Formats: sequence, C-alpha cells, structure tokens
Amino acid sequence: MDLAAIPAWLEASTVATTIRNSLYLFALIESFHVIGVAVVIGTVLVVDLRLMGLASARRSFTAIASDVFRWTWIAFALAVATGALMFVTNATSYYVNTYFRIKMALLVLAGINIAAFELTARRSVADWDRDPVAPRSGRRVAALSLAIWIVVVFMGRWVGFTLSTTAAPLTDEIDLEQLENLIPK
Amino acid sequence: MKPFAEWLSQTSVSLAIQSHEWVIPTIQSIHILAICAFVGSVLMIDLHVLGWAWREHSLADTTKRFGPWIWWPLGVLLVTGALMIVGEPPRQLLAISFWMKMALVVSTASIQMTLVRRPVKALAASTFLVWLCVIILGRLIAYDYVWGSWSTWLKL
Repeated sequence: MDLAAIPAWLEASTVATTIRNSLYLFALIESFHVIGVAVVIGTVLVVDLRLMGLASARRSFTAIASDVFRWTWIAFALAVATGALMFVTNATSYYVNTYFRIKMALLVLAGINIAAFELTARRSVADWDRDPVAPRSGRRVAALSLAIWIVVVFMGRWVGFTLSTTAAPLTDEIDLEQLENLIPK
Repeated sequence: MKPFAEWLSQTSVSLAIQSHEWVIPTIQSIHILAICAFVGSVLMIDLHVLGWAWREHSLADTTKRFGPWIWWPLGVLLVTGALMIVGEPPRQLLAISFWMKMALVVSTASIQMTLVRRPVKALAASTFLVWLCVIILGRLIAYDYVWGSWSTWLKL
C-alpha cells in the first residue's frame, strides 16, 4: 500500500468529513484535547518534582505514583483520542507540518524516557522510595520529562497557529468585518 | 466595548506585542503551561477531599503542599491573559466566550477557597468540572462564532 496515500484516505473518511464540516465539533474536540493535555502535564509535574526532590519530598514515591498515575493515563487516552480525531480532519496538512512532526517525535521520546525509568531507577525503588531525592538516573528522567512536555505544548500551539484548519462553512455573503473572527487560531 | 477594544489595539504596548508573529503564540503557550500546573494542583486537592488520594495526610498538609502551585500559576494566568487582551483586544473583549470564562473564573475561585475550611465532596467534584468548562470556554474564544447570534451582541 502507498504510505503517502494514507493521509488523503483518512481525510476523506466520513468521520473526518463530518468534523471538518461542522461549525462546532472541531472546536469542542480541541477543547477536550487541551483538558487531556493539562491533566497529563499537571500530574506528571507532581511526580517529576518528587523525583527531583523539589516537592512532596516527605511522601514516598510509590505512594505518590499510585495516587496520581491513573489520572495521567486516563487524561493521556483522552488527549490521544481527541488528537487522532483532529488529525484525520486535515491529515494531509498535519502530516507535512514541521511542528506536528517534532511534537510526535517528542511524544515518542517521552515514551522512551518512561521505559528507561522503568528499566533503571524503578527497579530499585524499594531502596530510595522514602529518600527525599531519587537517584541520579531518576532525576535525569524527571528533568528530561519536564523539558519534553514544555516543548510539546509550544509545538502543539505552533501547529494550530501555522495551520488554518477547519474554517467555518462559507455562506453566500462573507462579511469582511466578521472574516477575521471566522479564522480559528 | 468595541471602541475601547479598538483604542486598546492602537496603544504602543499592543503594537509592540503585535509586531512579531511569535509573541502571541509564546504567551499562549506559557498560559497553557500555567493551566497545567493549576489544574494538576487543584486536582490533587480535590482528590484529597474526595478521599481518592493523599489519604495518609491531612487536608491542611495537602493544601500547604499544593497551595503555592495554585496561586503562582494563577498569577501567571492573569499576567499572560492580560498580555493577550492587550495584544489582541477584539479577540477577547468582543467574545462572549471570554466574558463567560471570566465570570466562571471569579466565582469558581471563590468557591474553591472555601473547600479548605469546609471540604464538601460534591463541591470538590463540581468545581473541578467547572474548571474544565473554563478550559473549554478559553479555547472557544478562538471559535466564538459557535454561539451564533449571541456572539455578535458584543460586537455592536
């Protein structure tokens, strides 16, 4: 199958077309994407600060992780689902957008970062669970995690800013005064 | 409101913000990061009130831990928000989504503060949901036309 044809095929799907032609669907999906991203980063922030010994240092790492991570994963699922729905509406445009590509690469890097944590510091967590600061590998993972998510937010905003995605459906007469308000940013 | 927005967009601060394309999206990105810290911290406190997290600690402890992470981000939100208003006055000031959002921010922040003294579970859950609505309204500012004829009311 021709890989380059996949974005066009996705864009032509019923789901993509319905969202693209709706006055409000894309806006709502995007809003829920922001909610998902906010909770992911907000919860990751709590855990990363703990690893770096900058906050919640008196609580054990495993207690914090078990309290917090289920919300991270629920929110991440929401972010991925809404992200996929937005992607298909203009797949051919997003696919070639530099900022979108960097964002996706960073998400992969975040995943590798988590895997690295699981395979190193996490293995010996019983040793350092009650220490105010995690071992150096854990601190590195936390710092890299925060850096990645900060740049992801900037890239996400730049994707929206550089792509005029779904425009409101054109009407017979275009009011130039209103035109500026019709272009999503 | 419209004359004020037009006047504001001609001030030197506004023109300075508008002068480079990257300024507004940068301010928006910082605004989003502050939202992340704010929502994460509010979530931690609300989860405590609901009894779903931080069970081995007192509410006073949890509030002390996350309080600063609510107030400082709120400050950043207000500053970046003000900069966005000054940079693109009509976008915010003539959007009904914006004014609905501001009304909810003020009222929900007030209610949020009472949670420390009277931790009511239903209040913790409902205020969190309202904060999510605040996020939705924030995004809808860019799509204010979804409110149909309501959104043109402010532009008169």
